[in-house]
Amino acid sequence: MTDTLTKTRPATRGLIPLPSAAAHALILVGGVATAASAYLAWTWTSAFPGNLTFNGYPGGLQWLTFTAGILTVLFALARQGAPGLKWLSPTSNNAPVVLSTLGAFGTTWFTVISITADLGGLANLEPGAYVAAVASLLPLIGALALPQEGAGERPVKETLGHYIAKADRIPAAQATAPWIQRLIITAVTIIGLATFTYGIDTEYGELFIGYLFVVVFAIWAMHTAGLIDRFSALVAGNRSFTLAMGFAAAIAFPFTQTDDHYANIGVNILIFGTVALGLNIVVGLAGLLDLGYVAFLGVGAYTAALVSGSEFSTFSGVQFPFWASALTGAAASLLFGVLIGAPTLRLRGDYLAIVTLGFGEIFRIAVNNLDGDSGPDLTNGPNGIPSIPDLSFFGYNFGESHDIAGFTLGRFANYYLLMVLIMAIVVLVYTRAADSRIGRSWIAIREDETAATAMGINGFRVKLVAFALGAALAGLAGTVSAHVTYSVVPNPYQFAGSTPPNSAFLLAAVVLGGMGTVAGPLLGAALLYLLPEKLVFLQDKSLLAFGIALVLLMRFRPEGIIANRRRQLEFHETGQLDVPDTTTLTDQPAVTKTGA
Amino acid sequence: MNTLPQQLANGLLLGSMYGLIAIGYTMVYGIVQLINFAHGEIFMTGGFGALTVYLALPSGTSMWALVPLMLIGGGMVAVLIAVGAERFAYRPLRGAPRLAPLITAIGLSLALQEVVRNFYPDADRARAFPGLDNTHDIGSVTIKDADIFLILAAVVCMASLAFFVRRSRTGRAMQATAQDPDTAQLMGIDTNRIIVIAFAIGGFFAAVAAVAYGLKYGNIDYRMGFLMGLKAFTAAVLGGIGNIYGAMLGGLVLGVAETLASAYIDGIPGMQQLGGASWANVWAFCLLILVLLFRPQGLLGERVADRA
Repeated sequence: MTDTLTKTRPATRGLIPLPSAAAHALILVGGVATAASAYLAWTWTSAFPGNLTFNGYPGGLQWLTFTAGILTVLFALARQGAPGLKWLSPTSNNAPVVLSTLGAFGTTWFTVISITADLGGLANLEPGAYVAAVASLLPLIGALALPQEGAGERPVKETLGHYIAKADRIPAAQATAPWIQRLIITAVTIIGLATFTYGIDTEYGELFIGYLFVVVFAIWAMHTAGLIDRFSALVAGNRSFTLAMGFAAAIAFPFTQTDDHYANIGVNILIFGTVALGLNIVVGLAGLLDLGYVAFLGVGAYTAALVSGSEFSTFSGVQFPFWASALTGAAASLLFGVLIGAPTLRLRGDYLAIVTLGFGEIFRIAVNNLDGDSGPDLTNGPNGIPSIPDLSFFGYNFGESHDIAGFTLGRFANYYLLMVLIMAIVVLVYTRAADSRIGRSWIAIREDETAATAMGINGFRVKLVAFALGAALAGLAGTVSAHVTYSVVPNPYQFAGSTPPNSAFLLAAVVLGGMGTVAGPLLGAALLYLLPEKLVFLQDKSLLAFGIALVLLMRFRPEGIIANRRRQLEFHETGQLDVPDTTTLTDQPAVTKTGA
Repeated sequence: MNTLPQQLANGLLLGSMYGLIAIGYTMVYGIVQLINFAHGEIFMTGGFGALTVYLALPSGTSMWALVPLMLIGGGMVAVLIAVGAERFAYRPLRGAPRLAPLITAIGLSLALQEVVRNFYPDADRARAFPGLDNTHDIGSVTIKDADIFLILAAVVCMASLAFFVRRSRTGRAMQATAQDPDTAQLMGIDTNRIIVIAFAIGGFFAAVAAVAYGLKYGNIDYRMGFLMGLKAFTAAVLGGIGNIYGAMLGGLVLGVAETLASAYIDGIPGMQQLGGASWANVWAFCLLILVLLFRPQGLLGERVADRA
């Protein structure tokens, strides 16, 4: 570590030469001005979505600029140690301020530029837009003028890296009473639900991009401030309470929606996320690359459709109750999982990738051909099995709207709640399995199969369990998805397509979110579902962007957004001795690669 | 009329195409233990490179001049992309866990497909390719000029590769690197250069296969790499991965098996409806599973030791 010497040198100047007091003042004034500029009219016509034409009331993207401006002010005040806000910036580092100003700058300039581009010319901007643009630039200048160690001595690129670097050590939070901790978790859950709901309800692509700017930079700022670390420590102490709050928030979601369309998005995200979580057992825990995973979803969906009582099903007289068809679907997927896994799991892992890829392709070809014409009659070929009846539990028909305590739950909201239940089962299976003897065997096999086998683990058997379990969970999710979509057709069950779920998107959700974590694949699934859904203009290029993103992700952050600690160490392997140096969670014993 | 000789010829022709592509998989796998999942797409871009040359030349050009120029054009594109992928996507990940380069390969494969679909003119549907459609009757077998080209290309490629690997200095360095990269490096072999050469040869052979594909079927499209790549990888495993002769043999076996299955399987009682081209891929895949069950090292055995 050659830079330990320079670290002790006192910081004197910033990247932009300005007195420290002026820099602070600039950030504060600029932040307030940015928030205030949201109250001005930015354009003269309501042709730009969101109606930004009012003086005195923000609309659409202006709300985001307002929020980002307020966040900047809050972080700037906390950085200076304003009483009552100290908790926002435990280490008083520059990074949260820089990142929140970047968020405000990004949102505002994106809005101004897209008004100009959409309406064709600068003439469409009202003075308010210029005010906003200048106001959001000021805090950024101020933030880069904050004194940062090394500025002016090292190359600019490196200094910029230091400006947004996380603090080396986050001091442990003061001990708080349990009820306060629970209150904090509740508050964070509510804010999280509100943020998520806002994102799903965004009505046009520009708003969603602005939303992403604000959310990504806000979360990044909190991460560099150490707030995320502190919150994870809090969660670690109240695990079951957090889990309960998470599910309460998930259940509360449809009650916040007035339009069943958004509940439909919600149920699709849940199906996608549940399947991604199942894949995470296979890929994230056991380290087996399954490239045809969506076929197991398809097996479940087709099985459920065949026994649903649909008049177009080959067994149209058969109508199983839902619990039976869910079990049949899961069992059919399990059977296919064993059939595919048994011959290939004895071999090198690479073969599995290619066999599952082949299986995924074969599944699609087979269901296309099993139409009684070019093959035996089973799946009705490309037409699929339409008019699958809605589910009904104890007289509660999922297809109809119900009024519960003043809230109207539409068809998709009903299925959403059912999917929350299915996801709860999958999360339970995942966490219990991961913490058990077999979960530790999976991780051992993933890390080093030879060593694990030498320790007495039956590699083939535990891999087969992982593979079959993953398949069964996908099948279970498939049975619900068959009822949600009314019909099953071969088309979605392919390797790559422009809309999720398909095998490539599922794998990407797991990798992007973070392999081996529960929250990661769910977050990845939500992002990957919402991005193509909201950014309609990307539709044609979304797969291209997606492919490039996968390559870059593997190159620069292979552990995903939410990193599993063990994975992170594995991907950034630097030798075991320097592991404690790079860790920030000093209050916990460091887990080494071979540990636990 | 006995159709068996014709079916066998069709199978061998299809198989030599698989074999040419499979060599790219097997060489790269033999040296760096990486499934270059994007190899199917390199095959596809080779085809589009050749098509570009065809479109750039005046329309009356003789096929004797056209085909070599298309081979050069397609080969250049495919080699450039293969070497670029190695340099910028795979090499930075060489020490990483095995999952990382595989996922990179999938991303690369999607990106290449989409680049062609989005940016090559009219590539969202099949593009016409010049065909060599003159037919010759040899006994009861009918073959086209394109088939003769394919056979010649496969034989020439295979022979020169065998000569290169066995006789040339670089070829022997390649064998050494496949056996043990660390020791090979200690012996003064520039392993990075060897890896680049393996990617380049694989890319060129894929481009040859793509030109043959275009000449035979008369059109190419941006999706053709996926299934051809999957089949070619199956062929490589079938023959024993890492073994270049195995790749060719595996390709031939797969091609023949697939053709015979789609032609004759509906004659077997109880399987009447499972014949025809639509089920050919299913049988190819079943063959892969059977080989993995009973002879996982492949027909000729693999050349690489299993490193965990």
